[in-house]
Amino acid sequence: MNTFLLRVIILFSLSILAFNVKAAPVFELTIQQHLFYPAELVIPADTKVKLIIKNQDDTAEEFESYELNREKVIPGQSSGVIFIGPLPAGSYPFFGEFFPKTAQGKIIVK
Amino acid sequence: MLINAVVIVLREVLEASLIMSLFLAYSQHVTVSRLSLLFGIVLGGLFAWAYAVHISTVSNWFDGVGQEVINAGLQLAIYFVLLGFITQALIGVSRPIERITLISLMVLGIVLASIREGSEIVLFITGFSSAPDLLQPVLIGSAIGAGIGISVGVCIYYLLVTMSFKNSVRVGYVLTLLIAAAMISQVVQQLIQADWIVSEYPLWDTSNWINERSITGQLLYALIGYEATPTPIQVTAYFSAIAMIVFVSFYQISRKTK
Repeated sequence: MNTFLLRVIILFSLSILAFNVKAAPVFELTIQQHLFYPAELVIPADTKVKLIIKNQDDTAEEFESYELNREKVIPGQSSGVIFIGPLPAGSYPFFGEFFPKTAQGKIIVK
Repeated sequence: MLINAVVIVLREVLEASLIMSLFLAYSQHVTVSRLSLLFGIVLGGLFAWAYAVHISTVSNWFDGVGQEVINAGLQLAIYFVLLGFITQALIGVSRPIERITLISLMVLGIVLASIREGSEIVLFITGFSSAPDLLQPVLIGSAIGAGIGISVGVCIYYLLVTMSFKNSVRVGYVLTLLIAAAMISQVVQQLIQADWIVSEYPLWDTSNWINERSITGQLLYALIGYEATPTPIQVTAYFSAIAMIVFVSFYQISRKTK
């Protein structure tokens, strides 16, 4: 590939990376017996939030929410970090994709 | 549990299967050995397994967002492989070096796609080793899901190879373009989730029109990276990704006709 193409590619890759360094309030969710605790989590509106999800089961779980546009696998006996928001007030359902029958919850933004 | 396993595995297999069918169809037209592509699946599968085994370690990288960063990296790499594939296909494969480049790109693409999609399947299934009573329905469901996903790929493959060469190149080009752009949209999504890219309010909400949960929504997600509530930066990146491939294509075509 010639240098011109290479330049286009590098510029393009850089353009989609922008860093953001504000500290976000931390909230925690726990997975136990394929259930989320708390099943309803209240977070502030228009604020970016750091969500720590602790999976205390042996099985992996995937935190998924179409409304929040988030999905992440949390391996068994470990934890994961997801950033959500800033969001307008409302109710945003989420579920565990691997055990969707029981692992259900909501993020309430107030 | 069974239906759930079908859906999860189908979703993962579908994307890799689409890329695979495009490459296989192209190999058919230019008579490239398909054994090398099979090698890509096996290699990708092994890497996927290794990635899944070490997922807890990877997750802790970059302050707990290692998974997002690695996944974004894999998908960004898939985008550039598809860009390279289109470029090389336009340049042609008459010389040995060009053939080798094209085959390498295809194998690399398959390895990357297999790692990305395969690792999630491995994590899902191996999680049930501690729940033996659920393992059987999960395995059956996974097999059905994989079967459907592969069948869709096979359908697209036959659709492409039974067309005239001109038409199959056109359809294949558009499909590759859409899949590549979907990759970039997912890269942005992953990096927003990791807080590496600033999060914004969605540009629009089409969830009442096509819900992401619906079958149509899932299919569109695999094919064009459909999101009901994309952020402005995601939409911009998506169309820039398309623009770049189209630009590079025109550049190659104009160079060839000179």
